[in-house]
Amino acid sequence: MPGKTIAEKIFSRAAGRDVFPLERVWLDVDLAVVRDFGGPNVVLEYDQQFGNACPAHPDKIAMTFDYQAPAKVTKVAENQRICREFAAKHNVESVYDVQNGIGQHVLLEQGRVLPGEVIVGTDSHMNLLGAVNAFATGCGTTDLTAAWKTGKLWFKCPPTLKIIVNGSFDSPTSAKDMTLFLMNKIGADIANYRAVEFHGEAIDNLDLAGRLTLASHMTELNIKIPFFSHSPSVHSWLEERAGRKIEPIEADADAAYEGVLEYTVEGLRPVVAAPHYPTNVLPAGAEGIVGQKINSGFIGSCSNGRIEDFREGAEILKKAGGKVHPDVRLIVTPSTREVALQMLHEGLYDIYMKAGAMVTNPGCSLCTIGHHGVLAKGDVLISTSNRNFEGKLGRGADIYLGSPAVVAASSAKGVIIDPSTL
Amino acid sequence: MKFKGKSWVVPDDIDTDQIYHGQYLPVTDPHEMAKYALTFTPGKENFPNEVSEGDILVTGKNFGCGSSREHAVICLQYNGVSCIVGESFSRIFYRNAVNLGYPVLECPGITKMVTEGDEIEVDLDSGLVKNLRTGKTITGVPLSDVEAEISNAGGLLEYLKTH
Repeated sequence: MPGKTIAEKIFSRAAGRDVFPLERVWLDVDLAVVRDFGGPNVVLEYDQQFGNACPAHPDKIAMTFDYQAPAKVTKVAENQRICREFAAKHNVESVYDVQNGIGQHVLLEQGRVLPGEVIVGTDSHMNLLGAVNAFATGCGTTDLTAAWKTGKLWFKCPPTLKIIVNGSFDSPTSAKDMTLFLMNKIGADIANYRAVEFHGEAIDNLDLAGRLTLASHMTELNIKIPFFSHSPSVHSWLEERAGRKIEPIEADADAAYEGVLEYTVEGLRPVVAAPHYPTNVLPAGAEGIVGQKINSGFIGSCSNGRIEDFREGAEILKKAGGKVHPDVRLIVTPSTREVALQMLHEGLYDIYMKAGAMVTNPGCSLCTIGHHGVLAKGDVLISTSNRNFEGKLGRGADIYLGSPAVVAASSAKGVIIDPSTL
Repeated sequence: MKFKGKSWVVPDDIDTDQIYHGQYLPVTDPHEMAKYALTFTPGKENFPNEVSEGDILVTGKNFGCGSSREHAVICLQYNGVSCIVGESFSRIFYRNAVNLGYPVLECPGITKMVTEGDEIEVDLDSGLVKNLRTGKTITGVPLSDVEAEISNAGGLLEYLKTH
């Protein structure tokens, strides 16, 4: 019998027996998370189906309010309220309310996400937690309702593709550029329903922020879960957060993969994803891209909301003159309160605020149309988030995706530019 | 389970914001969700007013990509769209449909044999789809395994009542 991939190991542990790819199994869920989007729907469904019956494991439920933090319309305020009431009624202690930030990032910082765990949540980007080798997946209301009641959920064990990424690149090229490059190469078909394991020099060199960036984009390729080669520094950070020693999880040397893909990012230059697909990736300096006028910028989101991202943006903003272009509205949103405090401590708030950016409280911000930063017809946004589908932030508005360096440079110049040409 | 109805056709990569836009996420009543179905899909902005009970949605590849919002399935379900037949489905959307007991059929090649407005017949158990205007048929990939059990039970929460 061949060895196991990371996915097969996690499934086998959580099912209590050997599990093979494509098998359907019921797994014990380690953490079932809802946001203020999806959460109220789950609460209402749960109440309707199960009345006052206690959830199987209240200590394995978490709520993170980040979609509209704080609420700006009454309906969302009521949605948040009914979630809080449910938590109080059923002794769910892990409520990370509107002041905390993006759910997955908050949970990571709080030591609530560990390698090898099975985590579900009402957010398609739950699978960014694969950055630390947890099996996490986005689910709908019905799944979460069932998980809360029974503590288990059905899954199909994904086959695993191995993706090897070699090469290295120089600043201002970053993990985001590597991510967008890979999005374009892999596409949304071949890795559908697969687990992927990232290996290779370029992956080994990624810090936690870079792994989060890459992992967060895999949703758009229909990848079920991305996993990563072991990183001693990421692992010690996790142990520090959890307050104890943790067993890392790695594939067996003789694990059987469905296939192997290999890419190189040697000498990669900054890129953007042009409207209207995250896979529509072109060099930032390409004809038709460079010089494109923009009037909105965003640095933030679960993809690029760590301190490393804001350092990168601030450095390039300074290099580009230290001021946001008069025709551009730049929004900067830390992923969590912890990141916000660190930005303050490092003088980054100073840099962004003096430049004329709007630094907002932590949360999902304009990654969805749920909060602020809605666009008008004709607006053009360059953003570090992960989706640019047509109409996402308003009809008739175009969205480009890029790294914090690309967004900062473009926001300073008023047009898309390759920051390496500054 | 068999369905017969007038077809609506949408292209590849219709994401969840186009099916059910993010600004309507706070809605919790499924009847209200129905009002917004496909309103951000180019050419289908008036869909909720034009669709009839029993119509069938035919899609390109990667239908429902994007968010995990169950609203995207519910809004179509509550407009009386009897089932969705697609070249392929994004995995969360597909799973949500299964969990809701809402019929979806993966059928590579379907968009080549249906023009919007054609009356089509769909047999979910065998996967056979027939274009009643042209007489042509094609076979899709029916649900199997636990997905079939869950969907046939009427969804995950119904399934759990007896399992």
